[in-house]
Amino acid sequence: MNVVLTIPNPGGVWTNPILHWVIVVAAMLVLVFVLLTAAAYTVWFERVALGRLQRRPGPNRVGPFGLLQLAADGVKLATKESFAPRDVDPVLYVAAPAIMVAAAFLAWAVVPVGIWYGLTYWIANPNIGILLVFAVSSMNAYALLLGGWASNSKYSLLGGLRSAAQLISYEMALGMSLVPVFMIVGSLRLNDIANFSVHWGPYQGPIPLIIVAPLSFIIYMISAVAETNRVPFDLPEAEQELVGGYVTEYSGLKFTAFYLGEYVNMITVATLASLIFFAGWNPTFWWLPAFVPFLAKIIVFLFLYHWLRTTLPRLRYDMLMRLGWKVLLPLAMLNVAVTAVVLVAVT
Amino acid sequence: MLAVAVFWIMAVLAVLGGLGVIVSRQPIRSILSLVVVMLALSVLFLLLSAQFVFAVQVIVYAGAVMVLFLFVVALLGPGRERRGGRLRFQWWLGSLVGLVFGGFIYSMLQGARFRPPQHTDLSTFGTVQEIGLGIFTRFLYPFELTSVLLLVAAVGAIYLSRGGRVGEGRGAAADDGRVRGEEEPHA
Repeated sequence: MNVVLTIPNPGGVWTNPILHWVIVVAAMLVLVFVLLTAAAYTVWFERVALGRLQRRPGPNRVGPFGLLQLAADGVKLATKESFAPRDVDPVLYVAAPAIMVAAAFLAWAVVPVGIWYGLTYWIANPNIGILLVFAVSSMNAYALLLGGWASNSKYSLLGGLRSAAQLISYEMALGMSLVPVFMIVGSLRLNDIANFSVHWGPYQGPIPLIIVAPLSFIIYMISAVAETNRVPFDLPEAEQELVGGYVTEYSGLKFTAFYLGEYVNMITVATLASLIFFAGWNPTFWWLPAFVPFLAKIIVFLFLYHWLRTTLPRLRYDMLMRLGWKVLLPLAMLNVAVTAVVLVAVT
Repeated sequence: MLAVAVFWIMAVLAVLGGLGVIVSRQPIRSILSLVVVMLALSVLFLLLSAQFVFAVQVIVYAGAVMVLFLFVVALLGPGRERRGGRLRFQWWLGSLVGLVFGGFIYSMLQGARFRPPQHTDLSTFGTVQEIGLGIFTRFLYPFELTSVLLLVAAVGAIYLSRGGRVGEGRGAAADDGRVRGEEEPHA
């Protein structure tokens, strides 16, 4: 979809190095703002979806349809007393939520966003592409583990330990699940993956990759839900047994940072799923701007998260480990091997 | 210019992190210092336009290996390193080893010439495709032998951690869920 737009260049605005950086920084700030807003409305969407699935209205008091509930919650969280227990590790206690937020936003450096008909926006498009998302999101384990350790509380520590074990176990399956996609597309750039096109008889154009890699999609979704610590993989913050897991001793803005990081990670997972397996902003019709199908797919995957949350009970710890190591990882490896054989046979 | 500035910042960070590993008395601080070293090194790889090595360095070393270290330290919870227990002539021996090692590095750097690689196309250098080609063609045997070596190390570690006993005691069989007399359906 990389249509080269002929943008007017008065006075060399776009080629001036300093102005270039000004524009890049402005674009990044816009992206951060959009993500913050999106995270807030994901919370609203989750509460409404959970409510409707449980036959209750959900938030509907603040503003029309409860849409201003998030503004009220934000003010509440920001002005709340930021209480820290006495014996916390002062540096790591503050560093943990900071790592969480930084990692969540950094992943968006390589995620392309379909905006208008031929216009796609991304901050960087390096050769390693999605590997950068994996690299950055592997830092999340530090946030949860350090947050749990620095709080100096048994509940927090248990939550942190559980999250570290869980993230490492499912990172393997997550990475392996996408290898067939890379083999088919021949690129790690998310842009190339979303625009992957085929010549199948009369049809010529982009296809959703779920058609050729369905097993990858299933493994990806399960592992990704586990990576974001959501139900049914929310053992690190299991409220019935661990109070709040690694966030037990956090309050005020630091708690908000953990919460924000978790929701931004959810949006990242949903966006990657729609980009990799459902062709992102394709198909494009003349009457449909690119962001409409793109956004619709992301919302569907976010709804999947909320749907899972109301439907499934939490896994027990040994079931979690067995599912990750004995089911998903061997299945993902088999998937790679089968895809390799088929690819060699076809070409 | 920017690259030189980034190099110096990261080089200083890496050395400081390395010092932090051996100087700090809290094991968790040592581990985090080592993470700083890993991340600084990964940026240095990026400066050499080795993108893939950068990603792997962060994912494998900083993201997985160090998290496991941190996991073990947080699980066992040693507050501080114990003092004492030093050899009588440790200072003397340490200085000698340090001197010899420094001499090695110095003599190795004598023959080094710093220049960009000559026979490589710099536009594709360090990309995923290039590394994949290298691993599966020219360096196939070294690559496979290294993975066998790692497998041997992993199997050996499991054997040693179970005290040399295989198939008895509190091993994988006991943790398999059969203790509870049930086999949970899942997947």
